[in-house]
Amino acid sequence: MNNRLKVLRAERNWSQADLAEQLGVSRQTVNALETGRYDPSLPLAFRIATVFGQPIESIFSE
Amino acid sequence: MSKSRPRRPFGFRVYAGTMLATVVVGGIAGACAAILGGGPGWTSVAINAAFFSVAMGAGMALCVWWWRGIDEAAREAHKVAWWWGGSGGMAVGGVILLSVVLPDEGANLVKNMSGQDVFAAGMAALAGCQILGYTVAWVGWWLWHR
Repeated sequence: MNNRLKVLRAERNWSQADLAEQLGVSRQTVNALETGRYDPSLPLAFRIATVFGQPIESIFSE
Repeated sequence: MSKSRPRRPFGFRVYAGTMLATVVVGGIAGACAAILGGGPGWTSVAINAAFFSVAMGAGMALCVWWWRGIDEAAREAHKVAWWWGGSGGMAVGGVILLSVVLPDEGANLVKNMSGQDVFAAGMAALAGCQILGYTVAWVGWWLWHR
């Protein structure tokens, strides 16, 4: 699954640690998400959408 | 940034502290069992069972507390490591142990050991192989998901 996490994070000038803190996950998890090597659970996907203020479908795609 | 932030997941320091705590608890239980439960009869069995039950219970309680504090990716890594690493380690270790112990040469290796010592050594060897497999799989999961 592809995602725009890195782009969205860069637009807000956040570090991976900043995003991790907001999501309640580790920096390593944010890194795994951004590389597309790890797909988030539904609750985490919703938290990501809430943090970025965008619908899930605009952040994640197949 | 959002105003209410979720709790930060546990990191390596908490993991190391948890491991140390389980070692200490296990060591205390083992020492108590060795001192008080080394005699003959079923009383000794009951004493050993009591100490080890308390230690295992404390260990499991620590595991539950720690598991709840890590994030989902860390849980996924540990699940994969437990299944594939533990199974793979047991498979490899089992082959090695059976290949070495069953033939006559294997009997020579353990001829000076008591039955209890052989049993304990076998358990320790297999557990060691599982732990090694677990570690390899856990490291591999994180390297693959970088």
